Amino acid sequence: MNTPADQLPAGIEACDCLTPLGDATATADALLAGRRALALAPVLGRDGGDLVPLALTGPMDETLPPRWLPGLHRLAAGIPPAPWGSARFPVIVTSSNFGVGSLYAFTRDHDAQHLVHGTPYASVELLRAGLGWGGHVHIFSHACVTAHLGLAHAARLLHAGLAERVLVFSFDFVSPFVAGGFHSLKILNSALPAPYARRETGSIGLGDGAAFAVLTRAAAPFQLRAHALYNEMFHFTANQPDAGGFAACAAAIAAAAGGRRVWIKGHGTGTLDAGRLEAEVFARQFPGAPLTGWKGSLGHTLGSCGLVELAVALAALRGPGSGKKIPGTVGGVAPCFTDTVALAPFASAGFDGAILTSNAFGGAHAAMLLTHD
Amino acid sequence: MIERYLHHVRVELPGPEETAATARLRLADKFPRTALRRMTHLGLLIGSALDGVALTPEDAMVFASTFAETRALEDFLATFPAASPLLFQTSIHPGSVQQVLIGRQQPVGRLWPLAGRTRLVEQALLTALLEPAPRVALVGGEERGTWMLEHNVASTTSFACAALLTREPAGAAGRVAFSPGPIADAACPTLEDFTHALAERRPLSWLGAGGAWTLEWS
Repeated sequence: MNTPADQLPAGIEACDCLTPLGDATATADALLAGRRALALAPVLGRDGGDLVPLALTGPMDETLPPRWLPGLHRLAAGIPPAPWGSARFPVIVTSSNFGVGSLYAFTRDHDAQHLVHGTPYASVELLRAGLGWGGHVHIFSHACVTAHLGLAHAARLLHAGLAERVLVFSFDFVSPFVAGGFHSLKILNSALPAPYARRETGSIGLGDGAAFAVLTRAAAPFQLRAHALYNEMFHFTANQPDAGGFAACAAAIAAAAGGRRVWIKGHGTGTLDAGRLEAEVFARQFPGAPLTGWKGSLGHTLGSCGLVELAVALAALRGPGSGKKIPGTVGGVAPCFTDTVALAPFASAGFDGAILTSNAFGGAHAAMLLTHD
Repeated sequence: MIERYLHHVRVELPGPEETAATARLRLADKFPRTALRRMTHLGLLIGSALDGVALTPEDAMVFASTFAETRALEDFLATFPAASPLLFQTSIHPGSVQQVLIGRQQPVGRLWPLAGRTRLVEQALLTALLEPAPRVALVGGEERGTWMLEHNVASTTSFACAALLTREPAGAAGRVAFSPGPIADAACPTLEDFTHALAERRPLSWLGAGGAWTLEWS
């Protein structure tokens, strides 16, 4: 039943992110210090509503030009130069929401200028034109596993000889549209998330996030060696109760990992059923491997989370000195679903790889294997 | 050159008067009754285009749509400040193919939803050609918007297409091929034009993605 993982190693030439805590290094440092970016804020921004945990880079209400544009330009300033968007240097943009906050702003303000950035293509076109990219910009949108798709597709383009280097760029900024949607599902409520905690009520937070990675076939100290993907199609918002989807994805990435000693950066939004299934499956598949999750601080950055959290992982692994530490599950509390959940930071020494996972609506699962010299 | 053979080529090109409600009546026998009442127009059209294709977890799917879940987006926005959970779920790309596959309880290994525009067809085909799964369902479509269409941010027409791409030439209806080379870009067919080409078994050729593309028929 398992679809094998892609095993097409790609070197990570550059990678960084933008969160409310700063760039990847600042974010990793803040997570190591146990800081939460999440704070309670009105679910509909200036339109009010219940207070829910949001990690924002600024006021949530959409602006003209869109509020996400300046931050993305600052982030993009760190991308190594190349003829991005040409056929041999394609760009892959991944997001779940793109500029959908502008559609909400239009329904509130009735200013048609908001609509110019409201669709995925239009929001990416605004970004493409501003950053001077060519026309070869692929756009993927598969909710919260989207960044994984971009990274996996980049590896395929490289190994097929169709690209010299690939830029994967990901962004998702919270808007009343998405906050109101998750609030309607009752999972975005007044409680701060506690990923993998065995408690009475589940809760998630949402966060702004953006990141990029430049992938190459050339040797690099850090590599993405494998990608596993699986789609349950059991229910829009629930997983198979037997954890079959988690198991299929975990088995595929485990086969690619071979005998490596890995730690796991899980999806860990703070939901109960999915968190339990995820923790139990990965504890069985990777006995003793520490499981950590960072959405208790950053919130769920939706379609960008896979790349944002990859950038944080890399920053932690590149940390100063020989005592490099991996952030623990910020916001997590005992008792946890499994004894593999790492609540405190742990040393990266002794591990020769990491598994980074994400999940999405429709029972979508994604996992990638990160290795280093 | 990278190539795949096209099997089960099917399109849905309803008239401009068709709505989700009338499509639900026209296509009722293709869907489980419990799923039918919640399906969007695009979900119904894609499901119909995929009718008869039994996918497996070893198969992959590539889904191309510029505007995707337009009507669910429009309707979801109208529910604020009491946002609808059902419309929120449905509005999220790739909700339309998930409606179909969840209705069938049909897992797939890899699903690649694309949301570009000017080179969407080329990028979807490239994604399908690079997919190692023995069978790749290539699906695309749009649904006609209402107030978003008035502002030119939605499709003017509703349509869907589906083709099963394999490495097996026997019995194939057609073939798609990409020949890499140092070639400048030329205009890529739109998703709607590609859908009509599938319907008419019309050959296509264009340049892009650093190579030459051909769609030809048996």
